[in-house]
Amino acid sequence: MSTAAQRFLQDAAVKSADLMHRELIRHNLDSYDAAHLKGRTRIKDWEAARQKCQEIKREAINHLDRYLLQFEEKVVARGGHVFWAANSEEACTYVKNLATQRGVRTVVKSKSMVTEEIHLTPALEKTGTRVWETDLGEFIVQLRDEAPYHIVTPAMHLNRGQIAELFREKLDSTIESDDPTDLMAVARRKLREAFFAAEMGISGANFLVADAGAVAISTNEGNGRLCTSVPRIHVVVTGIEKIIPRLEDLAVLWPVLATSGTGQGITTYSTLIGGPRRAGEADGPEEFHVVLVDNGRSRLLADAEQREVLHCIRCGACLNICPVYRHVGGHAYGTTYQGPIGSVLTPHLNGITEFQHLSYASSLCGACTSVCPVKIDLHHHLLQNRRNATEAGATKSSERIMFRTWRYAMMHPRIYALGGWSVRKALRVVYGLGLAGSILDPMRVWNRYRSPVPLPTESFRALWKKDGRKNLGPS
Amino acid sequence: MAQANEARIENPSRDRILEQIRAGLRTAIPEPVAMDSSRIISEPVVFEPVIFEPVVFEPVVNPLERFQQECVANLMECTLTADSAASARQLSQILQSLPGGEIFVQDDPSLRQLIELAAPARAMRWSSQGAPAEASQATVTLAETLIAQTGSILVTASCGGRGASVIAPCHIVYATTAQLVPDLATALGRASRDGTLDRNSFACVISGSSRTADIEKILVQGAHGPRRLVVILQNGS
Repeated sequence: MSTAAQRFLQDAAVKSADLMHRELIRHNLDSYDAAHLKGRTRIKDWEAARQKCQEIKREAINHLDRYLLQFEEKVVARGGHVFWAANSEEACTYVKNLATQRGVRTVVKSKSMVTEEIHLTPALEKTGTRVWETDLGEFIVQLRDEAPYHIVTPAMHLNRGQIAELFREKLDSTIESDDPTDLMAVARRKLREAFFAAEMGISGANFLVADAGAVAISTNEGNGRLCTSVPRIHVVVTGIEKIIPRLEDLAVLWPVLATSGTGQGITTYSTLIGGPRRAGEADGPEEFHVVLVDNGRSRLLADAEQREVLHCIRCGACLNICPVYRHVGGHAYGTTYQGPIGSVLTPHLNGITEFQHLSYASSLCGACTSVCPVKIDLHHHLLQNRRNATEAGATKSSERIMFRTWRYAMMHPRIYALGGWSVRKALRVVYGLGLAGSILDPMRVWNRYRSPVPLPTESFRALWKKDGRKNLGPS
Repeated sequence: MAQANEARIENPSRDRILEQIRAGLRTAIPEPVAMDSSRIISEPVVFEPVIFEPVVFEPVVNPLERFQQECVANLMECTLTADSAASARQLSQILQSLPGGEIFVQDDPSLRQLIELAAPARAMRWSSQGAPAEASQATVTLAETLIAQTGSILVTASCGGRGASVIAPCHIVYATTAQLVPDLATALGRASRDGTLDRNSFACVISGSSRTADIEKILVQGAHGPRRLVVILQNGS
């Protein structure tokens, strides 16, 4: 059985050699870059906006218990239900039981990464419930039986031709056009049936507003609006870290999330929901449930270095700018959350031993940190994860032996010199025989795709001894 | 008390999660340095630092002008009218441009008056009769507030309910210039002070018609919600 690390290396190699895939990602992300840069000009002081968002999230996370209780009190007072789930299983069981008890046959879902994280859809489907993803991108990847490719744009890896083909196969064989407007119309017709048939709507939350006791949901398509308006039960499934202290905080968080996510000034529908339909209101669900998912998040609070990872607002900006993501794409990661934030978060959520390789899926260029709207120091967290994995003994034994040997050599100059000499000689023989990059080449990892670095004739020590300060010292 | 017991039974992990949160928060986190530039000043700072809140957004000087500009950017229609007669004429024109069929209207005296002038013969459903029908051709509602900074309308459940702004392919908002506020901060601050969310189970800042760019990042107007969002903006209050 292959490990997650081996799968990642394999998939990354395949994807980065797939020129069509790269072209598609480049096209999508170039469009994003242009929109994002333009969007930023709408904000007078972008750095001040980031600072403000960071402060809001820091205050929220540093008083997480207090704000969650404030939120819960408000929601419960209005007749809503708040369920605290320690892990995926508890969250799924709660929603499953609710669906069974209320005789739910059809569920419409708006985009929620937390439901992906806890695998809610398969859990519901096992009980015979039909689940419809209603965000266009999510709907497309659901029809393909795939995971979302990107936390904001789930179907970014597909072009219109592939989507038209998919719709012909799964929805309507008479579709001729591959125009995005027509494809959207097909999805709209199909999903409208689902919206009006469903007994339960499931959404995520972008923010949980403590003082107002409301969930804030941002969507452009209006599917989130329909999911939370038409069915008679609305269930919000979200992480405990989504809390913010005050309603007014959204005055900066909404524009910053939209700018970083898509380059918009604000998302088309920035919705606030505080409970079930009230007496006298024309419509709305009779039941309102909020499932607060912990699933490893509270453990992260105790990590003084990495607590701020919980500030993330899931805008996707770090994915979009990451040179690794841009080459290997979202699916290669094999995780719910991809890109830099996924590489930082996944070892905490799913185990540092199995996912520590993601800490190395980075050039440490820091581009992610530079765009993060809540100023998470992402690339340093990747370094910390590397250190933590090493300290936890999660590294390969061959690597440990290598470093132990290296340390021994560094402390014994003669051994070091001897080692350097023999490696130079050996490599000269290997290269001389034309074996560079072959299976016999100890430098194969590097030389496989590159010409070998020329070997020095003398060691650094020899050069230093001979004419050191003049040739090698600072000029 | 019974309810408290029920809450405990329903939430076996609640206390455990809260305990873990509190335990985690006891870990001290170094206080952030407020201004990075202070690190590079080598001389000791002799003056008291002036603490100021940086201006994140350019203040909105002319809310009406800004609102109209942002409406264009958000692909929504905004028509300025002088009085209720002009608004009724405008509404009548829009309704005539739409296919026949039922229209959903927020049950409010001002809208009843407007509809009486604009389309007395049209099939109507009022929000007091329940949710809009799936096949509604248009919805007509009021708004709580108009936000100039983002070209948005703030609606709540009081504005005809939740479906009123999303089910039909065309959403028409009847508003006045007196409802304009400069920015989101003002709108949200007011909503917070007025307890808007204690009186409404739902509120939404709507900034344009429904859209998607999920296929090749190409903008498609009219996804699951309205293709058209029209604001009839009447001068005065």
